[in-house]
Amino acid sequence: MSDRRPVTEQEALRESLRGLETARLPATVPPAQFPIETLVPEVRQQTPAVGQRATRPDARLHGLGQTKYIDDLALPGMLHARIKRAGIAAARIARIDTRAAEAMPGVMAVLTGREIPANSFGPSLQDQPVLADERVRHAGDGVAAVAAVTEEIAAQAVERIVVEYEPLPAVFDPFEAMREDAPRVHPPAGNVYAHKIIRKGDVERALAEADRVFEGRWTTQMVEHVPIEPHAAIAAWDANGRLTVYSTLGRITLGRADIARTLALPVNRVQVVGTIVGGNFGGKNEISQEPVLALLAKKAGRPVKGVFTRGEEFYASTTRHPFFMDYSTGVGRDGRIRARKVRLVLDGGAYCSWSETTLGKACILATGPYKIEHVQVEAFAVYTNKTVAGAMRGFGAPQVCFAYESQMDEIAAALAIDPLEIRLANAFDEGAASPTGQTLESVVVKASLEQAAARFGWREPRS
Amino acid sequence: MTPLRITVNGREHVLPAPPETTLLALLREHLGLTGAKLGCDVGDCGACTVLVDGLAVNACLMLAAQADGRSVLTIEGLATPDALHPIQQAFERHAALQCGFCGPGVILSAKALLDANPAPTAAEIREALAGNLCRCTGYAKMITAVHAAAQALHGATDERSPRATPVPRLPLPGGGTGGPR
Ligand code: FES
Ligand code: FES
Repeated sequence: MSDRRPVTEQEALRESLRGLETARLPATVPPAQFPIETLVPEVRQQTPAVGQRATRPDARLHGLGQTKYIDDLALPGMLHARIKRAGIAAARIARIDTRAAEAMPGVMAVLTGREIPANSFGPSLQDQPVLADERVRHAGDGVAAVAAVTEEIAAQAVERIVVEYEPLPAVFDPFEAMREDAPRVHPPAGNVYAHKIIRKGDVERALAEADRVFEGRWTTQMVEHVPIEPHAAIAAWDANGRLTVYSTLGRITLGRADIARTLALPVNRVQVVGTIVGGNFGGKNEISQEPVLALLAKKAGRPVKGVFTRGEEFYASTTRHPFFMDYSTGVGRDGRIRARKVRLVLDGGAYCSWSETTLGKACILATGPYKIEHVQVEAFAVYTNKTVAGAMRGFGAPQVCFAYESQMDEIAAALAIDPLEIRLANAFDEGAASPTGQTLESVVVKASLEQAAARFGWREPRS
Repeated sequence: MTPLRITVNGREHVLPAPPETTLLALLREHLGLTGAKLGCDVGDCGACTVLVDGLAVNACLMLAAQADGRSVLTIEGLATPDALHPIQQAFERHAALQCGFCGPGVILSAKALLDANPAPTAAEIREALAGNLCRCTGYAKMITAVHAAAQALHGATDERSPRATPVPRLPLPGGGTGGPR
């Protein structure tokens, strides 16, 4: 740091990032060294970034503790919000009495679901209330919210809100929920809210004609993302009635539209500011408390911050879908797979969230990266009175991978074929067709398997 | 309310704070030092780790009053205006932080370890970081980084040791009300 004198702090920081010792990719495109025309990426041609060493440009501030996450921000006069959670899986809300909470010193605003202009949201089906108003569908549903001068007062005030419930029969098992006589989570509609089927060839005949048929059921459990940073947001209105929301949202454009919709505001009156997110993994892909904070802030006339408790992260944010996966696979004596029939049941919890995306991806990938002429995949997403299942890394891909690869191992063992060989015998080649008829390019599954096997010495004699 | 006398990052503060104030709230809300994070509020995640008299503690579990008369080090006090601390440098170079939320806690746990044990084994590093959860990076790169930092600190008088990366003076967090950037 010799002759150059940083003018502003920001410039100084930029300067510091330039001094990183490890070779790293330029933060901006160097001028005029490349042809100006955009290149169309060609199949099999990797970008020059692959294989190069890069240092994260944000690593410096992370290490210094200077990265500002949402909870590190504060606005003058800011209040703190808490949401009252239902604590009951299925009920009709008979009455909500907020008077005691409102009377507490330090409480500046109280909100219930009936005050929300358009009380529903969701990335594909708008089936989720921002705060439950008439009906509770899972224990983590919010039923009221408080903004107070401290978090402690907000937490105490939430305890003083009295909600009278008329309990309803609940359903927790997706197979039970699929029955006609099951309690309905979203009456009058049935509990199956998404259904997909993929058919190729004649799976029944091929199964009947196969040398061997392997059957099995695999299940996976509900998984919470557990980002170390809980969901957090701040809502603030300006004097012209425009709303700014600072949020841990990973998808701010989508979130902006959802916030505007729930508040019945034109989208251009809503600004969403995202900062560095302290872990998302799919769990911060849609709005949660943002409209609640906005309405509390409007009532109180002051900015309002909300931070989920660790408990809320588990019961009031989305999770990974539990899957129930039934596989029937017809195989020749040579180990070649002739037919595969798959039935998937996704436990979606109380609301749709990203279930349709998850269902679609799981269906397409359910038969695995294998050439199979006769395929049938049928999948259902089902409502239950449980914590909502939504997006999580891979959107259903890890679940089905666990099932089909487990079955591949069983088949290999039963036919006394090496697990690697049976995969090589069945894996996609360049130009293979996916179950939905897409021609696949850049297919390197066999090369990857071979390389991995060579690296860890799969073919070397084992004792 | 008797005011608390606490030294934070080498500077003494006399602070009146309500008795229920945790050390974490004191640092984040009263002093504007937001480097220590609130991850769970129950002592499980380690995101709130700071050093009190050199020992790593979960600041969410410690009352501010328990730190009365003691010396607290937060992540903001680790680098000097001219140089990153070798642990920070190693975490940066070894890509040991992704979202970074766990970082301040992990780095301070590592500091407590290296202060007591200049050449720890991998098992000792794992043990020292056992109270710090990370959901993004995983722990392998962190262990590598702590090893590298131990070497850098150990060989500090060694001529061949890499020079500390200079960093400019950083803005002080604005008293807990610094707006968004
Ligand atoms: S916030 Fe203190 S251990 Fe998690
Ligand atoms: S880097 Fe995200 S939690 Fe550790």
